[in-house]
Amino acid sequence: MASNPRKFKKILIANRGEIACRIIWTCKEMGIKTVAVHSDVDRDSLHVRFADEAACIGPAPSAQSYLNIPAIISTAEIFNVDAIHPGYGFLAESAYFAEICEACNIKFIGPSANVIRLMGDKIEARRVMHEAGLPIVPGSSGGVTSEEEGIKVAREIGYPVIVKASAGGGGRGMRIVRSEHELGKALETASTEAAAAFNDGSVYIEHYIEKPRHIEIQVLADEFGECIHLGERECSIQRRHQKLMEEAPSTVLTPELRKKMGEAAVGACKKLGYSSAGTVEFLLDLQGNFYFMEMNTRIQVEHPVTEMVTLADIVRNQIRIAEGEPLGYTQEDLLIVGHAIECRINAENPETFAPSPGTISAFNLPGGPGVRVDTFVYSGYQVTPFYDSLIAKVIVHARTRELAIARMKRALEAMVIEGIKTTIPLHQKIMDDPRYRSGDIGTDFMEYFLTKNGRKAAAP
Amino acid sequence: MAAPKEQAETSNRRARPAQRPAASVNMEELRELIALLRDNGLAELELENEGFRVRLRRDSAAGEAPYVVAAPQPAPAHVPEKTAAAAVAPSGPTHPGTHAATEASGDQDLHIISSPIVGTFYRSPSPAADAFVKIGSNVEQDTVVCIIEAMKLMNEIQAETTGEVVKIYVENGQPVEYGQPLFGIKS
Repeated sequence: MASNPRKFKKILIANRGEIACRIIWTCKEMGIKTVAVHSDVDRDSLHVRFADEAACIGPAPSAQSYLNIPAIISTAEIFNVDAIHPGYGFLAESAYFAEICEACNIKFIGPSANVIRLMGDKIEARRVMHEAGLPIVPGSSGGVTSEEEGIKVAREIGYPVIVKASAGGGGRGMRIVRSEHELGKALETASTEAAAAFNDGSVYIEHYIEKPRHIEIQVLADEFGECIHLGERECSIQRRHQKLMEEAPSTVLTPELRKKMGEAAVGACKKLGYSSAGTVEFLLDLQGNFYFMEMNTRIQVEHPVTEMVTLADIVRNQIRIAEGEPLGYTQEDLLIVGHAIECRINAENPETFAPSPGTISAFNLPGGPGVRVDTFVYSGYQVTPFYDSLIAKVIVHARTRELAIARMKRALEAMVIEGIKTTIPLHQKIMDDPRYRSGDIGTDFMEYFLTKNGRKAAAP
Repeated sequence: MAAPKEQAETSNRRARPAQRPAASVNMEELRELIALLRDNGLAELELENEGFRVRLRRDSAAGEAPYVVAAPQPAPAHVPEKTAAAAVAPSGPTHPGTHAATEASGDQDLHIISSPIVGTFYRSPSPAADAFVKIGSNVEQDTVVCIIEAMKLMNEIQAETTGEVVKIYVENGQPVEYGQPLFGIKS
């Protein structure tokens, strides 16, 4: 086999926390050197410790550090890196950053800037994917700029409707509206939230599907037009549109539906000229119809559940694809084995969800068969309030869903984190919940669960 | 997965291939020293032992966590001696700390000019020209002390203080990171 001249010798990871560690682990397996960047408060973070080289790029605030493009590029040049892996969040979906990398002759590990830009504009993405043949939820054809226009659209598509931010993601800038008199205010607050979070207050409206399931399809595409899917992830357990836990495969997808959704996602990606890893998110209604919601042009937090059931290494594939290697798999190669569940452990009060920064005084990781923990914290680590509260992901894999639940229960019991509050007790309770155990989950699950357990259900 | 926080990494080599501190760090001893520092309300503790020097300083601005600077020294030719220089003042407001630095941490009476960006440090405006400042040079607020090159742009760094240059912590052409100490100025 001819040796690939584009093989990377060194990669800079433009991220922090658990995903930075995750990328470093695969780079080590591939013999690729790593450069970590960090803010001054992240000096003792695990990703810095295990990278081959490191540089402090700014003070704690993300805008001056992890989002500081000149600092990151300058570091990349000083260390002479071949490529940058942006992880998720931060600059992972910045078309501008992808362009700058290209201009500086540094390979951005992800799709092209054009595709990132296209999918980053949720209104455009809806239009483009619809043209590419994906069913979409009935909604406004473009942005909604006035209450009048909103009312007209909502009357056409029928209540309930949901107002969404065009530049949004991660569940922010969204409002569910059940009747006309609420619409004006919802448009206003969603737009304000969007302007603050994404610097773009444009919003659009979709029909709101009751109790939908959030099913997403993982895709992998090379730079030669080959594309396959790696099956679905069930991500319906969310609070305020933030995912708390995920699993693969979904309890409601038949092989036929999986094939249909998978082929739809792959077909659209091919038409887009997509490359690298990506996720096409769908809503599944109670009748088994699926609708395109949005596409994430990056690796996702919940990627481990797919890796467990398919034995794929998504980071490894991203790197190979970026090195210009052909995908090497066909759809027939896909094997989905057993069942995987992931619980996101946040440094939060498990009842109020208030952030709980502080020093971890005792720490133990679960082990044994079928257990994986992606984390960046350790005993003595100081959890700061500056960043996301996600501190660990506990993932289990077993032959059946029932066995996976039992496995997660005992793994969570052995997952000891003291000195701060975490959401481990919340996940343990969910594992015991009869509705969860039966597989009857939808995006209404957390509301049901919190109400049942006597807590205030989160406002949508 | 415990990672000892006490393991020091000098700031002026953060932007170079990461090395590990010398193997002669005795974790048990370090822990005892830290306890000594804390239990007696000390601000600083220095210990020299068989060619190894340790300075512990409690930075009250960061809360209760003391940080450690361990500098392995070349083996001395003479018989090594154990000396312990005890505390200075009880813990109080310390130097408006930048970040862990070797020599700079001891220079509490100096104003430290640290790098505001990531880049390559240059002492003079061009290879043939004289250095902007030398040891002994006097500086004012807007005196340019060095250039830090980032992404092909030459950024002039001003002193933003008045005084005399007494320490230069980095070398010409050295990569520097955010917060890295560059000059020590005596006012």
